[in-house]
Amino acid sequence: MKYDYDVCIVGSGAGGAPIAYELSNAGYKVVVLEKGKNLTEEDVSKDELAVSRRDMYTPNLKDERHIINNREEDGSITRYDGYEYSWNFWNGSMVGGSSNLMSGYFHRMKPNDFKLKSVFGEVKGANVVDWCISYEDLEPYYEKVERVVGVSGEVVKHSFLEPRSTQNFPYKKLEENAVTKWFDKACDVLGFESIPTPRAVLSTNALDRNTCSYSNFCGSYACATGAKGSARAALLQKCNAEVITEAFVYKLDSDASKITKVHYYDKELKSHEVTAKVFVLAAQAIETSRLLLNSKNEFFPRGMANNNSEVGKNLLFSAGGSGEGRFRFEDLDEAKQKELMQTGLFFNRSLQDWYEFQDDGLKYKGGTIDFLFEHANIISRASREFYNEEGKLIWGEELQDKIHKKLTTSRVLRFEVFNDWLPTDECFVSVDEKTKDTFGMPVGVINLWGHPHDVKVGEHLAKKALEVLEEMGAKEISYNISAAPPPNLVAGGCRFGEDAKSSVLDKNCKAHELENLYVTDASFMPTGGSVPYTWTIYANSFRVADIIKKLI
Amino acid sequence: MNMTIKSRRTFFQTTFLSSLVMVMSNNTLFASVTPLQTLAVVQEDLFPKEMITQANAYAYINLIFKHSRVSAQDKQFLRNGAKWLNEEAVAKYNKVYTKLSSKQRQETLEIISSKSWGESWIKTVLSYIMEAVLGDPLYGVNKNESGWKWLGHSTGLPRPKEMFL
Repeated sequence: MKYDYDVCIVGSGAGGAPIAYELSNAGYKVVVLEKGKNLTEEDVSKDELAVSRRDMYTPNLKDERHIINNREEDGSITRYDGYEYSWNFWNGSMVGGSSNLMSGYFHRMKPNDFKLKSVFGEVKGANVVDWCISYEDLEPYYEKVERVVGVSGEVVKHSFLEPRSTQNFPYKKLEENAVTKWFDKACDVLGFESIPTPRAVLSTNALDRNTCSYSNFCGSYACATGAKGSARAALLQKCNAEVITEAFVYKLDSDASKITKVHYYDKELKSHEVTAKVFVLAAQAIETSRLLLNSKNEFFPRGMANNNSEVGKNLLFSAGGSGEGRFRFEDLDEAKQKELMQTGLFFNRSLQDWYEFQDDGLKYKGGTIDFLFEHANIISRASREFYNEEGKLIWGEELQDKIHKKLTTSRVLRFEVFNDWLPTDECFVSVDEKTKDTFGMPVGVINLWGHPHDVKVGEHLAKKALEVLEEMGAKEISYNISAAPPPNLVAGGCRFGEDAKSSVLDKNCKAHELENLYVTDASFMPTGGSVPYTWTIYANSFRVADIIKKLI
Repeated sequence: MNMTIKSRRTFFQTTFLSSLVMVMSNNTLFASVTPLQTLAVVQEDLFPKEMITQANAYAYINLIFKHSRVSAQDKQFLRNGAKWLNEEAVAKYNKVYTKLSSKQRQETLEIISSKSWGESWIKTVLSYIMEAVLGDPLYGVNKNESGWKWLGHSTGLPRPKEMFL
């Protein structure tokens, strides 16, 4: 049989691009189908109104929404229409996907993250399992990402430093704001181990890309220099894989054992077909499960690769939350005031002292705390000053004065807690046959529940972060740990495993039930680790690319 | 005369904000006002006039009402809030909001800010004011970067080349 392509990839983000890069560079004919447009370095800007206030990089919720079934404390389910409630689970419809918009805080998972059940035991109400690969299997690929995508940083010894095959990062750490010294000093006093946060941002011209311009607007914004290691800048612009943009894949076809073609709509809603020897799904966790569930036929009446009803199950987010403290001019001398207001330079500090910890004699899996300055978005910063200290809404000159004082004589240092979102039967993806998107397809349903254990661990970590802020002299310290899901940190739904009855994918991320279907976004993850997912998604996708190369 | 009425009606139909809302008092029609007129006055009552003018906040509200990414519900809420604010003004002072003295208008804002819808509505209007004061001048707001200068803000580069509407 003649195929259009050797490999057809659905989705061009961190899960899909490594496959495209590796297979096309190996001489195979590769196509990537991407729902969004191709926006290059010349097309992007730091337009806060467009990017942060009007969500220009995600679909209009009126046209494409999710349904959220939120499980309440009493066990009842509340249904939210994502459009009506402005609850947005999209992360970046564009070539390179949401990796364009990430902050690029890059941490590897730790060896024990791969064997959570063996090391920490079961948690009641959660479906914790060990991974079917080990840290050692993935380490060479973490290292490859450092080189190929570009990770800058400085390796320092600490209690939970993962084993490395190289001594240091290939790119020196980015320039840092002087307040990091206050942080390091506070950690010394407290006996905590300050870690320079590795970033998927180039600190020098390399890889035929420009260095970071320290624009002060990194997270949420696409990079205009190419320094950020987005799947587009780092991989798709460096290979000859064909990328078809504004192509929404709505259905897969198969026979009993193989995917035969994918169907996609172009922007005029005209349908097209693509045939290939191998198909790779990487549409981001929720959408990958949705596409499989929407692809039913006589061989797979419950959806593609779903004869064991595992597709969509064990959806993960990242548990934890965030907190902050404010440094005020009135508490600082003139030199420190100047240091505080340096803009552009990165804060880049993390703590992993409690990646594992003991409490009441029990061993817990903990997590990571990243510290960063409040986002430079000026409209957001001004808008958070609408209330006075008594909690009363203010306006007029009182508001004008408050905004001016807060934004010109103080600065907020934030922290983000990342810990495991335990997989459960209550958190999963399904589809809503009655609610269709603009393409006429049933929308994805996010059935949402966070295990109480997650909040307990998050609280433990947040309180440690507060100690650092207090020691540094911050005021107005607060934090919020909850079971609210961060839409940009999503994984699971097609977990990999040895047993076809309890997993969708095998250890190669190939569907158990189909010979030529792979899933390489974060869907494969049975547990998420306690770090942001992107580095692991990249690394695993490079691993699967090597496997496909051997088999094709 | 007829022509005037006709053309005015046509004009009212062209923009959602300029069309009349009925201000009710004790279930009877008290007056009809346009949300745009009310909002223009409210903006000056919520943030110093000089900054509102520099920000071109009046025109920005029109842009928000036409924006493809502001939901129909949000637009309706902005419009309904203007109507309800006027009804509060009529209930207390027997006049529509724009006919009140500055002190009376502030008192009316205080009254609605203690109600759930009113607090939410004032916050919404303030948010759009902040967008006009501090958004990129490309959108016809923040004239001469006056808002950025006020806060010593260096905007991120590159700046946008075209509006996202």
